[in-house]
Amino acid sequence: MSSTEQGTSSAAPAEPTTAPESAAAPEVPESFYYVHGKDKVVHKVSAGALQHSALIHGMISNLGYTEEQAKANPFPFENIDGDILQMVVDWCNQHKGKPTPPEDTNLPKQKEKLFDLVLAVNYLEIKELLTYCCKQVAMMVKGKSPEEIREIWMIPTDAEDEAAEKEAKKRAGKEAAGETAAAAGDAK
Amino acid sequence: MILSKYPYLVQQEILHNMEYTDLFLLSFVSERMKKLIKSSQMNRFKSIGSIVYHVDKTVQPCVYIHEGPFNKTIIRILKQKKTENDFQLNVCGKIINFRLRKETRNENSYPVASCDLSEKECAIQSIHNYFLEFFGSSVQYHWKQNLNQKEEYYIPAIPQFQNASFSIEMYLKCGFADMKNLENFFSSSPVFKAIRMNATRSKEPFNPKSKFYQTESIESQQEKHTFPDLLRYFQGKQAFIRCGRCEILNLIEFVNKWKSGEGFQKLEYLEMRICYHEVSQTQVLNGIGPKYIDASKQPPTHSVPKLFRCYVSDQNTYPIISHSYVVRESDNRVASVSIQETTFFFGVWNKTEEEFLRMAN
Repeated sequence: MSSTEQGTSSAAPAEPTTAPESAAAPEVPESFYYVHGKDKVVHKVSAGALQHSALIHGMISNLGYTEEQAKANPFPFENIDGDILQMVVDWCNQHKGKPTPPEDTNLPKQKEKLFDLVLAVNYLEIKELLTYCCKQVAMMVKGKSPEEIREIWMIPTDAEDEAAEKEAKKRAGKEAAGETAAAAGDAK
Repeated sequence: MILSKYPYLVQQEILHNMEYTDLFLLSFVSERMKKLIKSSQMNRFKSIGSIVYHVDKTVQPCVYIHEGPFNKTIIRILKQKKTENDFQLNVCGKIINFRLRKETRNENSYPVASCDLSEKECAIQSIHNYFLEFFGSSVQYHWKQNLNQKEEYYIPAIPQFQNASFSIEMYLKCGFADMKNLENFFSSSPVFKAIRMNATRSKEPFNPKSKFYQTESIESQQEKHTFPDLLRYFQGKQAFIRCGRCEILNLIEFVNKWKSGEGFQKLEYLEMRICYHEVSQTQVLNGIGPKYIDASKQPPTHSVPKLFRCYVSDQNTYPIISHSYVVRESDNRVASVSIQETTFFFGVWNKTEEEFLRMAN
């Protein structure tokens, strides 16, 4: 349903190649859009698959792009790593037009990858995938002691929270003092 | 993975996918985390029906949340020696040893608070206070104690819990002769939400003014209908009696006492199943002088939610559909009366006679 452009490092999108459609051809030709992440690799994704993302769906619904225009204007998601965007695109393609199952076991097991995936999915507003990811994150601390949970999720202690709060207050105070001094200087 | 780097809504969704027992443990990681759980899971906690402390003779509570068809264990409090794997938590100012335990491979693990006998009461109280603060006071807390130990009778200590209701299951074996202590136990305990009891015979009856009779719901299996004498002295809302034999005159006396307003003011439902003989419908109806809904009309169905349920399916009282009814003189309230073979049913409506008759089609 999609193709991935192994990419170009320039901002301009590379010429994408289209993978053959595996399903029977729809009666109405499907429209495609293009997205790329931090690595500039362009992914061709059908509008049907992109419906999972409330953010992209909202963006494309009013554009009325032609195929050429869509190709020329891929949606840039510079805040999402290429491999993470690839995962998202794959998931959207796999679940295109299908009811989502109650569980998804294909999510990354590595903590950092899962963390980035959650942020990306939240940004792209893909509700079902976000639910799966959050379940997986919740599972990481199942049956763990408070200290083990602290380690896994890197939760600061009360003392660390207090110190950070004090530091933040101090910084805010300094900034406010700086602004007051600057305003006084301007007045002179 | 740094949880705090996630936006609030994502953190909320993660917490929403956690079991209560994991949330409970997470709440000890930091004060900030506890606040986050409480604020983000407020609606979820509000929807908790009840938190039950299930206690047997050893008074080692298993605390669970009754949700759907399952009971979800949050914690157990056991008398156990310390082990290397224990971790300590400060529960409302009391340091308690915990360990994680899993009954079966597929079951979720839960924390076990282990403490000495001397500290047990204090630990239970601290944990309850923590629950009140964490889950909130809108949750129903229920202490359910099982005294059904046939080999030996004992009188438990009921904790002085805030915002909690209490129920017990008890077995009074043949020749029970500790009525004084039992009465002391009832008088020093809060009014029970429910009592399930199995009573054979006693050398002494319950005191007619016993706090036992104030229990909201009593389910009793008894040899004689006079021990306990619920037909005379019950002051609660629901009674489910199963007894060997019963004098019909006592049933008549019960209905007439209700009609006169001299007793059973709070009663919603009474069911008397008699094992060894049928209840003579003619005799009872002649004795209570009922009124009748027009035979061409369909009587309304009386059924109320059970105050105490043994089984999930057991939600409402047996539906009474009867043309016979009696009216209380003092406030014109109606009760449907039905007799089916060996069972006498009595269901009180929160309706006046006029309102009740309007419900008959």
